[in-house]
Amino acid sequence: MRFSEILNLVRLNLIQNKFKVLLTSIGVIVGAATIVCVIAIGRGGKADVAEQFRNLNAGALDISYEQSKEKSGFSFGGSVPSSKSGDTAMPMSDRPDFSGGDFPSIGGGSIPDFSSSRSSNSSSGDRSSRSGGSGFFSEFGGGFSGLFGGSSDKKNTENITLSTDDMDDIYSSVPGLSESTITYTTKQDIYGGNIEETESYTVAGTLSDYADLSNLSMMFGDYLSDADNENKSKVCVLGYNASKNIFGSAEEAYDNIVYIDDRPYSVTGVLAEQGTVESGISADEAIFIPYATGIKYLTGSDISPTITVIAEDVNNIETVTENVKTVLAASYPNAEFTISDAGSKMEAANKSNKTLTLMLIAMASIVFIIGGIGIMNVLFVSVKERTQEIGILKAIGGSRKDILLEFMMEACCISLIGGIIGVLISFMISPVLSGLNIRMEMSATGALIALCFSLVTGTVFGFYPAWKASKLVPVEALSSE
Amino acid sequence: MGTEQIISMKNVCKSYKMGTERLSVLKNIDFSVDKGEFTAILGPSGSGKSTLMNIIGCMDTLDNGTYALNGIPIHQTKEKELTSIRNHEIGFIFQNYHLIPTYTVMQNIIMPLLMRGHDRKSAETDCREIIDMLGLSERIQHKPSELSGGQRQRVAIARALCSKPSLLLADEPTGALDQSSGTEVLRLFTKLHEMGNTIVMITHDMNVAKWAQRTVRIVDGEMFEDKTN
Repeated sequence: MRFSEILNLVRLNLIQNKFKVLLTSIGVIVGAATIVCVIAIGRGGKADVAEQFRNLNAGALDISYEQSKEKSGFSFGGSVPSSKSGDTAMPMSDRPDFSGGDFPSIGGGSIPDFSSSRSSNSSSGDRSSRSGGSGFFSEFGGGFSGLFGGSSDKKNTENITLSTDDMDDIYSSVPGLSESTITYTTKQDIYGGNIEETESYTVAGTLSDYADLSNLSMMFGDYLSDADNENKSKVCVLGYNASKNIFGSAEEAYDNIVYIDDRPYSVTGVLAEQGTVESGISADEAIFIPYATGIKYLTGSDISPTITVIAEDVNNIETVTENVKTVLAASYPNAEFTISDAGSKMEAANKSNKTLTLMLIAMASIVFIIGGIGIMNVLFVSVKERTQEIGILKAIGGSRKDILLEFMMEACCISLIGGIIGVLISFMISPVLSGLNIRMEMSATGALIALCFSLVTGTVFGFYPAWKASKLVPVEALSSE
Repeated sequence: MGTEQIISMKNVCKSYKMGTERLSVLKNIDFSVDKGEFTAILGPSGSGKSTLMNIIGCMDTLDNGTYALNGIPIHQTKEKELTSIRNHEIGFIFQNYHLIPTYTVMQNIIMPLLMRGHDRKSAETDCREIIDMLGLSERIQHKPSELSGGQRQRVAIARALCSKPSLLLADEPTGALDQSSGTEVLRLFTKLHEMGNTIVMITHDMNVAKWAQRTVRIVDGEMFEDKTN
């Protein structure tokens, strides 16, 4: 029998039993809709991760220091505040070992900083100090720590502020780095534009290369320049939301004046909308000022900056991390720095997203199996109901292959119809799910996979009943009631 | 009327297992039908005539003996080939018509040709003459449920004829019909016989058997009378 004629017979049978076909395919409808939604949610999750990490470079390493609040052992003096010049910390090589009374802390602990700051910074508020800086003090500090502090496990009791010197030091000493930058954030009172009362905003002190490294794009104007940093200019770049909140619109904000800590800053640029980010500074809400300007006018050295270096080769991240640790250990033997690698964060987020997607796919597969069993049951009933018809077909010359194909095609068509309905339903419910804050990225691939799954379900679960039908003995089938 | 044999059976035996015992249904049947003959196999219920029809129609196998249909040794033929033989050599006409209820008259009639690999259009063309002859032209788009018993049987006859078989095998063709419809079908059989078709008709009714050219009586699985009407 021609395949086209078998399909025609299948069509006739399905048309005759529309309602039964619909009921039979419910399992597949649910399965297909689930598969499409699961894939869409998975893709949405992936896109979310990509968006949230888009300000990160895969080869980026963030280096920061967090001083432990716990004070263990006893201290000989600890750190005495270094000069509050308001400028960047002095380069390590230029700094005399005795400058600022940088006494090594023994066993942790430091003299608290009583200097007041009107602004709350992201750091603990302690002043910059180094446990040794170089040579003797480094050894001395390390030795005392070992003796009195029992700090073979580094307890981060010292007051350390990373500086542009450390950044340069790492950049020049560690091979395989393509770029480096340093940033800090602080909360500052802002007014200007439409703001009637001061509001607290995140102010980020950055170098000129921050925009490129964080993939920030401009809507108006330019990002901060090297000259702005060198001249400690009172200029700023506003994040998209910050510009809207303060001035009503990005356009209005550009070339306007905003007051940060009562000092006027000229808005030289407004960033394009960046969206939510998982890591780093939330660019939309922040105000960016030159690194040195912030230190001079806002924070002093009372900051906890993050140095970001970019590895040339993402695959070398581990080596680069070790080298960075070695360089930092030479300068700060008793400190342990937090080094987070953006690639790992992204990988971890993607991995968890993948796990979730796999779990949902497993769920959808179970739905398909249940749907398939439903099809099998209905086909068994159908074979039973149509035993006489099978007998007639066999009596007039229908071969086993014809009967097998007819029933198989019927199962496949039922599942395919179910699959198509399921895909359509999934596209219809996607706006509803999106309305429930579930991000979905509908795709043709998802629909295709769902249809393939449906077809496979029909083929697998339709085979046995079809095979049973094809094996019926004509004379017995004909005489069945 | 030719002397070439369409059916040639020798010592055919068939038994079925009924619980622990074997029930012998056909006992050493010797039976032959010449090409162009119209033969009635007459017997009461349980005599084995339906089993004999199933074996003649290649729908059941025999335990012993030999059976040749149009020269083909059916007793040595496998199921796959029997399917093709049923399609090419035999036209079945059943007591209960055995039409597929979801198909139209036309779809039912052309089914053997579709099974043979014809496409729908050529099959419909090939069957047109038979449909006209049986007076079904106005009914081809109807479903079997929309037809009378006599019309349904005519559809079954059309289906049997459209594949131009060597043998028309009718099992109680008038069993489900009223007298006038039955007579109409039997007249049609006579006409088909006159046109050169070989017909074997199974019946329990002596009056129906009289329409045939020859009657073979079967009782308890044994042939005991073979007469020309």
